[in-house]
Amino acid sequence: MSRALFLQSLQNLRLRTGVLAAVAFGWGWLMVFLFTTFSPAMRQLAQASSMFERFSQFGAGDFFTLPGALTIGFQHPIWIAVLGVIAAGASASAIAGERDGGTLELLLARPISRRRVYASILLALLAVVGALVLATVLGMLTGVGVHGLTSELELLRMPLVVLNGVALWAAFTAVGLAASVTFDRPGPALGVSLGFLLLNYFLEVLGSLWQAARWTQDWSLMHRFRANELLTGSVPTLDFVILGGVFVAAVAYALVVFPRRDLAAPT
Amino acid sequence: MDDPTLPGAPALESRGLTKHYGATRALDDVSLSVASGEIYGFLGPNGAGKSTFIRVLLGFLHATAGTARVLGHDAARESVAIRRRIGYLPSGVSLYGDLTGRRVLDFLGELQGRPSSRREELCERLGLSDDVLRKRVGEYSHGMRQKLGIVQALQHDPELAILDEPSEGLDPFMQQALHGILDDLRREGRTVFFSSHVLSEVERICDRVAIVRDGHLVTVQDLATLRAHRHRRATVQLRGPAPDLGGVPGVEFVETDGPLMIVTLSGSVEPFVRAIATAELDDLTIEPARLEEVFFAYYAGADDEAPAGAGSAR
Repeated sequence: MSRALFLQSLQNLRLRTGVLAAVAFGWGWLMVFLFTTFSPAMRQLAQASSMFERFSQFGAGDFFTLPGALTIGFQHPIWIAVLGVIAAGASASAIAGERDGGTLELLLARPISRRRVYASILLALLAVVGALVLATVLGMLTGVGVHGLTSELELLRMPLVVLNGVALWAAFTAVGLAASVTFDRPGPALGVSLGFLLLNYFLEVLGSLWQAARWTQDWSLMHRFRANELLTGSVPTLDFVILGGVFVAAVAYALVVFPRRDLAAPT
Repeated sequence: MDDPTLPGAPALESRGLTKHYGATRALDDVSLSVASGEIYGFLGPNGAGKSTFIRVLLGFLHATAGTARVLGHDAARESVAIRRRIGYLPSGVSLYGDLTGRRVLDFLGELQGRPSSRREELCERLGLSDDVLRKRVGEYSHGMRQKLGIVQALQHDPELAILDEPSEGLDPFMQQALHGILDDLRREGRTVFFSSHVLSEVERICDRVAIVRDGHLVTVQDLATLRAHRHRRATVQLRGPAPDLGGVPGVEFVETDGPLMIVTLSGSVEPFVRAIATAELDDLTIEPARLEEVFFAYYAGADDEAPAGAGSAR
């Protein structure tokens, strides 16, 4: 890894990171606030209508328990969009954008191999993704503390949630960056990266809302983020392995493809 | 590669370097050597293959065939070692628009891993003041960006500078400053390989010139040989009868209009001068040979042969 490039990559992302971390923190707190405000009423409605109970669940989450509410926070499109800005957007445009803008050849004119360029940028992106997951969890914990709900949550299990969240978004980041080293322009790379993210989200939502299509969830990486299970006691080891496998495969692909690519003069 | 015309060990050499994109031959069998300490011009119009050649040397492109060595390192396998010792200015350099000029130089200097010992001197000579360097690069004019590009390429005092169209966008004063910088590099024993389509610039500063056309190396000549081989025009104002120039070596064409005689010469002018020594003249002008004439002769048609006496492509 190149320290200078790693720090510069973080510097390039600092504004986005600051804004997104603030949003993620607020989002985490909002989930707790919504739980304390609406959970009693929702429980009553669920007792009165089984149909309501079914549609009040979203993915693996629900608003009847605090872990369930936090899980909804992790599966909601808003949170996915916040993380997707970096994991699918910034990653896809990282190298293809440098290539398209002509600055990649300034980097590669230095005594730094393409693999080191890739590793430096990947680590910077992972640091940002980790910071965003952490900001979300910190927002949740702050809300839990402020609203006096610490007894409803096993706080010591939150680091596992962070780890699982980082593993999920690291996989998406690696796929985005793999797309970035494949194309000369950020557009196609962004298309692949966003398409992969949306496909996974679609499979997860489809399976959670439609009983007959429940099997589609097994094919979604998002289904491998088991916040509810982690918060209620079990550790889904296989999910960590699957997320790790996707990450390693995407990194291996990039490390093989990037050094072999021809980098013609930017258009 | 053994090249008896080289004054020193080669800083850069290629053998049969070829790059194809499908059916398109961007480079075809290019072999050349650049000696340490010389300024070498790589001349050709846009699209001739100049940048492709440079990008293969730097490892950005993988050669379809052939080999290249830069400062003794294999271009395909030891690209990082090469880049540790060179400075590179890309054609139409793109810089980080949201960083200040100083930050760009700091960042690229850190990546280079060598002290930026020439930075202050270069900035001063190219008119990049502290005020300018404090501005974001996005606010720079094209010429300012080019100057910053030159500084980033040379600030760490590289052994070999590879400059792709270095004077692009520079005003005449800054072009002069750039030529002065290149002259100083030569005096200090540094090697400069630069591509250009500005003939006067190549003529002004290069020791040797390679001319490339459609991916082919047409010729490599030192400037003196190149000038000696090209056509000149002698204008003679006669006071008496016209001398007989039939059979005089080097006299290619004679046009007479009253007392005015215009003679097209090639090679040495000495036989011509001897032939008119006894003639009565009011005036004699022999125009200095211009590189443009040779250049256009090589480009006078894609199927034409190179001019007589232009020499081999080595």
